[in-house]
Amino acid sequence: MKFQIEDVTVYFPYDHIYPEQYAYMVELKRALDARGHCLLEMPTGTGKTIALLSLITSYTLSKPNNPVKLIYCTRTVHEMEKTLAELKLLHAYQTIHIGDRARILAVGLSSRKNLCVNSRVLAAENRDSVDASCRRLTASWVRAAAVANPNLPTCEFFEEYEKAGSNAVLPPGVYTLQDLRAYGKEKGWCPYFLARHMVQFANVVVYSYQYLLDPKVAGYISKEMQKESVVVFDEAHNIDNVCIEALSVSVRRQTLEGARRNLNKMRQEIEKFKATDAGRLRAEYNRLVEGLAQRGNLPFTDNWLSNPALPDDILKEAVPGNIRRAEHFLHVLRRLVQYLEGRLETDNVEKEGPVGFVASINTHAGIDQKTLKFCYDRLHSLMLTLEITDTDEFLHIQTICDFATLVGTYTRGFSIIIEPFDERMPHIPDPVLQLSCHDASLAIKPVFDRFQSVVITSGTLSPIDLYPRLLNFHPVVSRSFTMSLTRDCICPMVLTRGSDQLPVSTKFDMRSDLGVVRNYGRLLLEMASVVPDGIVCFFVSYSYMDGIVNSWNENGILKEIMQHKLVFIETQDVVETTLALDNYRKACDCGRGAIFFSVARGKVAEGIDFDRHYGRLVIMFGVPFQYTLSKILLARLEYLRDTFQIKEGDFLTFDALRQAAQCVGRVIRSKADYGMMIFADKRYSRHDKRSKLPGWILSHLRDAHLNLSTDMALHIAREFLRKMAQPYDRAGGSGRKTLLSQEDVEKMGDGILNEMQY
Amino acid sequence: MNNGNGRRLNGETEEDDDDEGSEGDLDAWERTYADERSWESLQEDESGLLRPVDNTTLYHAQYRRRIRSLSSQATTARIQKGLIRYLYIVVDLSRAAAEMDYRPSRMAVVAKHVEAFIREFFDQNPLSQLGLVTIKDGIAHCLTDLGGSPESHVKALMGKLECSGESSLQNALDLVHGYLNQIPSYGHREVLILYSALSTCDPGDILETIQKCKKSKMRCSVIGLSAEIFICKHLCQETGGSYSVAMDESHFKELILEHAPPPPAIAEFAIANLIKMGFPQRAAESSIAICSCHKEAKVGGGYTCPRCKARVCELPTECRICGLTLISSPHLARSYHHLFPIVPFDEVSPSVLNDPHNRLPRSCFGCQQSFPNPGNKPSLRVACPKCKQHFCLDCDIYIHESLHNCPGCESFRHSKSPIATEE
Repeated sequence: MKFQIEDVTVYFPYDHIYPEQYAYMVELKRALDARGHCLLEMPTGTGKTIALLSLITSYTLSKPNNPVKLIYCTRTVHEMEKTLAELKLLHAYQTIHIGDRARILAVGLSSRKNLCVNSRVLAAENRDSVDASCRRLTASWVRAAAVANPNLPTCEFFEEYEKAGSNAVLPPGVYTLQDLRAYGKEKGWCPYFLARHMVQFANVVVYSYQYLLDPKVAGYISKEMQKESVVVFDEAHNIDNVCIEALSVSVRRQTLEGARRNLNKMRQEIEKFKATDAGRLRAEYNRLVEGLAQRGNLPFTDNWLSNPALPDDILKEAVPGNIRRAEHFLHVLRRLVQYLEGRLETDNVEKEGPVGFVASINTHAGIDQKTLKFCYDRLHSLMLTLEITDTDEFLHIQTICDFATLVGTYTRGFSIIIEPFDERMPHIPDPVLQLSCHDASLAIKPVFDRFQSVVITSGTLSPIDLYPRLLNFHPVVSRSFTMSLTRDCICPMVLTRGSDQLPVSTKFDMRSDLGVVRNYGRLLLEMASVVPDGIVCFFVSYSYMDGIVNSWNENGILKEIMQHKLVFIETQDVVETTLALDNYRKACDCGRGAIFFSVARGKVAEGIDFDRHYGRLVIMFGVPFQYTLSKILLARLEYLRDTFQIKEGDFLTFDALRQAAQCVGRVIRSKADYGMMIFADKRYSRHDKRSKLPGWILSHLRDAHLNLSTDMALHIAREFLRKMAQPYDRAGGSGRKTLLSQEDVEKMGDGILNEMQY
Repeated sequence: MNNGNGRRLNGETEEDDDDEGSEGDLDAWERTYADERSWESLQEDESGLLRPVDNTTLYHAQYRRRIRSLSSQATTARIQKGLIRYLYIVVDLSRAAAEMDYRPSRMAVVAKHVEAFIREFFDQNPLSQLGLVTIKDGIAHCLTDLGGSPESHVKALMGKLECSGESSLQNALDLVHGYLNQIPSYGHREVLILYSALSTCDPGDILETIQKCKKSKMRCSVIGLSAEIFICKHLCQETGGSYSVAMDESHFKELILEHAPPPPAIAEFAIANLIKMGFPQRAAESSIAICSCHKEAKVGGGYTCPRCKARVCELPTECRICGLTLISSPHLARSYHHLFPIVPFDEVSPSVLNDPHNRLPRSCFGCQQSFPNPGNKPSLRVACPKCKQHFCLDCDIYIHESLHNCPGCESFRHSKSPIATEE
C-alpha cells in the first residue's frame, strides 16, 4: 500500500498496516526532519523492522537532492539476514510502483567467516583463524612474493577481484550475505572485499553493532560514512553493555604467558631481519620519526584492527623516541608484561583508577604515559614490518597493547580491578586483571556526533528516560508504543505466594529456604499439568539453577514434572545448549510437551524465540539482578552515581527488569500468537519494580493478577488457555481496529496516534 | 428421537443423584467451593461491576461463524456429502480425564455427551456405523466394533469408565487406522477424538502415523477439553478434520454435536457408486424367531432380511448372515436434507436497524414474538436472503439445525400470503 505521511509518500509492501506501525513511522519521520536522534520502544511482533525500512527508504526517495544513507545495526547475523530479506521484499514492491527510481544498493557486511568463499580459508574453525588464513593468502607482501614465486598459494578470488580493479562493483539491488557469496562465486570475486568496498557507495548497509561502536573495527570499516546517514540500532536494549564491552579489556595469566611467547618470536624475527634485511627496520624507524602509521596508504588487505581508543583521542604526534627502535619497543613490552605479572600475584582484590595505575607503572617499570598510549600503533607498525600474517597467534600481545593504550589514554570513566580468584569459587586461583569501562556514553559519542540521526529502538526500552542519561545524549523524540490487539493474547501474572500462602522470592536470604524451593517446584509442576506443549523457565543465574534443580531432584518434584513433560537445560556450552534446544523443539512438535530451563542474561534469553507452541508459558523465577558483589559492577554503580546522578538501586532495578522483560518477551512474536508470563517473586508486586516493565506488558497486567498464589494462577491459566484456543478472528470484528487498509490510513487523523502513546 | 431425549434427561438426573451421594460427606460451604463455583458465573464489565455472564451473543456469534464456514465450503463446489460414514470415537481415559474442572469429572462429562452424541449421530446418519476406542495407560483398546446399534455402544462405554496412566495419540490412531482401512471404499472414514490430556506419549514417530492416516483418507477431528495442543491441530489440518477446544460443559456439548451432521465428501470419494441394500419387512407381531444378532428367541418385532431371511432386531444394520446392508426407507429420507441445506441467513446490520425511514417488522416471522429492547441497543436479528423475512436468533438456530425448512419461503411458495407480498 501507498500512503502519505506529511510530505513523504510511504511505500509499504503489505496491504494492511498496524496502527502502531503507522504511529511509529510518523514519529520517526519527525525525528528525521529534525535531524536529531530518537528513542522508540515498540513491542516485538508488531513489525518494527519493516516500518523502519519502509519509512527511511521512502524518505530518501522523496528527497532526491539530499539522499540519506541508512546504516542498520543488528546484533546477530541471523537478524541481519532477516532484515535484508524484508528489505528485498520492500525493494521489489517499490520497483513495481515507481520503476527505476527506486533503485538502491543494499549490502550486508559481516566478518570473513561469514562471507568467505575460499574453501581452504573456510576450513579454519574460528573467526580469528579465518581472518589469519585469509591474510596469509592476501597480504601485500605475500602477493608480492607470489609474483616472483608462482608456487606460493594466493587466493584466486582476491586476485580476480584485484584484476577487475574499479570495474568490480555490485549492480544495484539488495544483497543478503548469501547473495553476496553466490555473486562472488559466480564472478570469481572475493565477496568480503567486494562488500567492504561497496559499503561506501551503498544506500543501505546492514551490519553488526561492533562495526560502529568498537573503535578497533569502526576505525577501518566505518570511517568513510557520510554525515547524512541515519543509523539504526535495532534490539538496542543492551546497547550500553555493548558500548562498555567495546572499551574493556581483561588480562589473565594465560594472556601474559602468550604475550611472552609472542615477544620471543618477535625477537627472533627481528634478529633474522637484522641479519638479512637491516634496511627494512631502518626504513620503519625513519617513518616513525616522521609520524606514525600512514594508515590510509596501506594496502587494503594489510590493515587489521585499528587503535582501540576513540578517534578523537588518538594523538597525531610522532612516536616517542624510546620505542622507535624495534628492540627497544620489545624491551618496553617485556617490562610491561613483567609488571602485570607481578600485579597478578596478589592475594587481595585491588581496585585502582587509571591515573594511579599509570603512575605505578612509571615508578616500577619505568614506562611513561605517552609511551603506553602509543603501544598499539607501534605494535601494528612492527608487525607489518616483520610481515607477520598469523595474526591469530599474536592475539595475546595485541590484548596487552590494547590495554596499555586504553589505560594511557583515558583517565576518567575507567577502573582497573585485580581479582585473585572468582568470588563464587574462592578455592580456585584464577587471577584476572580487568580494565573496565564504566561509561557507556564514551563509545557511542562519536556515533552521535558524526551522524545526522541515530535511531535506538527495541521491544523493551523501559524506563525510556534512563537511556538518554546512560548514553548521554538528547533525543528529539522518545516514545513508547503499545500493541493493538484483537484479543488479550498475553497474560502476565505476578505470583507472590505458593499454595501454602508463604511468600516466594529469590532474595538472598530466602533463596535457599526449603519452603521457597518447594513452592517454586510445585508451581512448575502444577503449571506443567495444565499448559500444553512448551514451557520456558528462566532462573536468575546458573548457580541458582543448578542448586534448585538439584533439590527438586532430591525431593522428587523433578520426577513428577517429567511425567507431564520432558525437561531440557541450558548449559554454558553452546553445542550442548543447541542440542537441547533442538530436542526441546522436537518434543513440542510431537506433542510430548517439554520444559526448557534457562538463565536470564544467557544466550537463550537474548537470541532464541519461543513463539507459538514452543512457548505457551514463561516463568521468571526471581528478579534477575546482577551479581551485586561483583567489583566491576560496584565500580560502575559508583561512577554512575557520581557522574550521572543515577542511584544504585534505580540502575540495578532497571537492569534486572529489562532482563526480565526480555526473557518473558521471548514467547510472543506475533499478534496471532498467545502466551502467559509468570513473574514468580514477591518483589514484583512492589510498585517500584513493576513500574519499570515495558508498557505493553503493564497494560495487560490487571490489578487482579498482581498478588497471586499458585492455585489462583492455575485457575487463571486454565481459563486463559481455553479462551485462546477458540477460533481467532484476525481482522478484529469487535470495534477495535488493528489492521488498517489504505483507505483507513488516508482517513485517519491524529486521533489514533494519541491513542497509541503512553 | 423423543425417546432419546427422555433417556438423556433421565441419565442426567441419575448422575446428579450420584454426585450428591458421593459428595455427601462434605460440608455445605465446602460443597459451594468445590462444586458450584458461583464466582465463575460472574464477570467484570468495563467499569468493574460484577455481572452474570452473558454468553448468548457470544454463542450466537460462534454459531454464525460455523454456519458461514459450512456454507462457504458448500458454495465453492457442488457439495457432496458422505452419507455413509464409518466413525470411530476415541475417548481419552488417561490420568487427565479424572480432573475435576468439569463436574463431576471430565470423564463423566465426556461419557454423558458421547451417549447423547451417539443417539444424535444415528438419528442424523441412519446409514452410518460407529465404534468406540479408549486410550488408557498409553494403550488403545477397542471397546466396540463398528456397528449400528446405539444401545450396545452406550452400554459398553458406561461399563468402562475408569482412567489411569498416560495418553497416546499414536497408538489410538494406529489401532483405528487398522480397522478403518478394511472398510469398503464408498464409506467415509472418520475419527473423532475426545482428548483430555495435554501431551501424548508415543512409541514412535507420530508424524509418520499422521501421514499414514492422511494417505488412507481418514478424517480426524479432535475436541480438546483443556487447551490447544499443537500436535492435535496439526493432525486435524493434515487430515481435513476440525479442531476445537471446549470452554465448558455446554460448549463441549455443542462442539460434539457439530460432528453429527455429515461432513462434505472428500473429492476422491465423490464418484458415483452403486451399493446393494436391503429393505427388510417388519415381522408380524406374533411370529417367533431366533434373532441373528443376540442369538435369542424373540416373540414379535424384528425384521427379516430379504435375501437370506434371517431375523434382526434393529435397523439399520448389516445382516450377520449374508452381509447385506439393511435399512428402512425413512432412514434414507432423513438423510436427504444434508444434501440440500437451507442457505444461512444474513445478519441485519445495525445501520439498517437505526434508520428511521426503514420500517422493519417488529416481530420474528417464526415465533411471532416481538424483538426485544429496540431502544438503546438494537437487537440482533437475521433475515432470509430469499424471502426477506426477519427471524430472531433462537428461530435462526431452530430453522437451521432442526427444521431444515424456512417458514418464510414455504408459506410464500404455497400461497402468496399478505405478509410476504407487502415486502
